[in-house]
Amino acid sequence: MITAKTAKRRENKTERIARVGKLARGKFVAPEKVPEVLRRIVEPGDILCLEGDNQKQADFLANQLATLGKKDLRDIHLVMSCITLPAHIELFRKGMIKQVDFCYAGPQGTAVADLVKAKKFPVGAIHTYNELFARFYVDLTPRVALVAAAQADRKGNLYLAANTEDTPAVVEPTAFSDGIVFAQVNEIVDRIPHIDIPADQVDFIVQAPYPMHLQALFTRDPAAITEVQVLMAMVALRGIYEKYEVQSLNHGVGFNTAAIELLLPTYGERLGLKGKICKHWVVNPLPTMIPAIETGWVESVFAFGGEVGMERYTAARSDVFFTGRDGGFHSNRPMGQLAGLYGIDMFIGASLQIDINGNSSTVSKNRITGYGGAPNMGCQPTGRRHPSKSWLKAGAEANPGPGTSPGRKLVVQMVETFQAGRVPTFVEELDAHEPSIRKALHGVTPVMIYGDDVTHIVTEEGIANLAACRSVAERQAAIRAVAGYTPVGLKRKKRETEDLRARGIVQLPEDVGVRPSEASRSLLATQDIKGLVRWSNGLYDPPSQFVDW
Amino acid sequence: MEKFAKAFPSKPLPSKTAKPWALAGVVGSGNLEVLLERGGKPSNAMECHVETSIPGYKAAWLAALSDFAHHYAAGGTKVTINDQGAPPVLVTLRLRQAYDHLIKGDK
Repeated sequence: MITAKTAKRRENKTERIARVGKLARGKFVAPEKVPEVLRRIVEPGDILCLEGDNQKQADFLANQLATLGKKDLRDIHLVMSCITLPAHIELFRKGMIKQVDFCYAGPQGTAVADLVKAKKFPVGAIHTYNELFARFYVDLTPRVALVAAAQADRKGNLYLAANTEDTPAVVEPTAFSDGIVFAQVNEIVDRIPHIDIPADQVDFIVQAPYPMHLQALFTRDPAAITEVQVLMAMVALRGIYEKYEVQSLNHGVGFNTAAIELLLPTYGERLGLKGKICKHWVVNPLPTMIPAIETGWVESVFAFGGEVGMERYTAARSDVFFTGRDGGFHSNRPMGQLAGLYGIDMFIGASLQIDINGNSSTVSKNRITGYGGAPNMGCQPTGRRHPSKSWLKAGAEANPGPGTSPGRKLVVQMVETFQAGRVPTFVEELDAHEPSIRKALHGVTPVMIYGDDVTHIVTEEGIANLAACRSVAERQAAIRAVAGYTPVGLKRKKRETEDLRARGIVQLPEDVGVRPSEASRSLLATQDIKGLVRWSNGLYDPPSQFVDW
Repeated sequence: MEKFAKAFPSKPLPSKTAKPWALAGVVGSGNLEVLLERGGKPSNAMECHVETSIPGYKAAWLAALSDFAHHYAAGGTKVTINDQGAPPVLVTLRLRQAYDHLIKGDK
C-alpha cells in the first residue's frame, strides 16, 4: 500500500517533470533551454545539490543556474562538496541561497570569507566528505541534483570516466527518494565504454557546449622540491615508514610527500625497504608516484578521483590501478574516504598552521577553505577493530588504558617550520579561532586535524612523537622542540628537549640514521616533469601549464 | 646587512676528523654558505661569525647556533656564515651538512 507521504513526494516529482513538458525531448534538453528547465524543476525551499567535486564540476549547469535571479529561484538549500567556481559564488551574491552545507572551498576561500563578513553566506555546517555524503542519506537528501558525466548513451545511461568522484553518492539518494537528477555530459554517443549510472536514475540530460571543468590538483613538479624537503622525506622514511613498517597509506598533495614518493626508488631501495613498506595506497593517481610504480614498489592504488594527464598511464598499469573492463580508470570519493578512514596504516599531510597542542588548520582570517577529506583520514577512527603491525606498534607506544583502542593509526603532519615569506607555521593560537568565523560556524573552530589525533610531527628539525607523550605539557614541549626558530620554538627549554630526546620522543635526523649531507635533489628519482614522462615510457601527458619543452 | 660574532659552549670535536675544514651551501640569493674549521679556541666552545643580508633576526640566529653547539660536539671549531637571505629552515641543514662533511668526509 502506498502511504500518503510517498504518494505526495512521487506526485510532486511527476508535476515537476510535467512542467518541463516540451522543453525536453524525452530526457534530452537543448543547452539554450536549460535555464527555463531549471526554473520549472526547482521549487523554493528545495535541497539542491550542484555537483562541484574536488576536481570535476557541473560547470555548465552551474553557469545556467547563475543566469537566474531571486525572482526565479529563492530559498535554496544548497548542498555540495566543493565551492569552486565563480558561478557558485554568484548564487550567494544574488541572495538565492537560504542555507549552504559543504566541505571545501579552496579556490573560492577568499570570496567565501568576504561573503561571511557580508553576512551573505548562511552556513549550516562545513563537513568532511564522508559526513556530507552520509547526510545525503539522512537529513540532507537532495530534491534536485545537477551532476556532471563524461558521456551519455541514447537511453540516458551515464559514463563518468576517470573522475567518477562524487557522482554515484549524489545520484543514488536523489534518485531513490523521488528526486530529480539532471546531468550535463560532454557528449552523447551510441555506445558508452561502461555504465556508471543506469538510465533509470537519470531524469534529464544536456550535452554541454563545452567539456566539464576539471581541476589539475595533484600534479607536483619535482623541479620545485627543495633540499630541505628531501631531508624531511629522508627523516620520515627512516623514522616512521621504516620503523612502523607502514604497508598502506594516504599521501597529502604537497611537495613534502612528493619528495618521499621520489625517494622510494633511490634512497628507499638502498635501505632495503622495497616490498616491506608502501604497498597499498589510497590516493589520486599522483604523477610523482610513477617512478615508484615503475620500479615495482606499489601493489595497489585506489583513488578518490582522477588526475589530468594520467589516463593513458593508468590504463596501461591496470594491474595497479582500479580500472574497468575497457581500461578506463575508476575512482569513487566516498569509498576512497572510507578506505582512508578505516583501511590504512598511515595518513601523512601538511598544514598551514599548527598550534602548541598540535591542532592544525588551513584557515586564515581572510580565507575560509573548509576541510575536504583530510580529517576523515587524519583521525583515529575508534570504530576500527582489525589490527595491523603498524597499528599495534603505534598503539602500544600510546600506552592504551582500559576501555581504549589497542591500536593507533599513524597520523603524521609534515611541515617546514616557516611558510614562504618567513611566516611561522607554528603558532600559539590558530587564526581559525577568529570570533567572526566561529560565529558563522555556530561555535565550531575549523580545525583540520586535532592534536589528539596526531601521532607525529616531522619538521626540518626532526620528529616529535606526540603519541608517546604522557601529558599535555610534555606534548607542548615536544612540539616546541621541533618548531625551529619560530616564536613557538624559541620558547623551548634545552633541558626539556634533552630529556625528550633521551626518551626517543624527539629525534634529530642523525638519531634516525639520516646523514644530512646526503640531503640533495640529486637523490630524487627524477628532478622534473619531463623525467616523469620518461619514467612513464611516454604514457603520462602532463597538463600544458607543466610543459616547458 | 648585519654582522655579529659569539661563542657557544660545546663538547670538544672528536680528536680525528676526516677533513680540517668543510663547506656547505653557496653564497647566492636565498641561500647561505657555512664554513666549519678546526683549530678554533678554546676547545670547549664553538666560535661563530655571521654576516647576513637581512637584518633583524639576530635572536633566531643565536638560538639556532646555540642549539647546534648544544646537540653536536663542535667545540674547537670556527663557524663562518655568509647569508644571502636563506629561508630560516635552511640554516640548521647547512650547519649539519658542514659538520657531517667535517667528521665523515664528503662521501
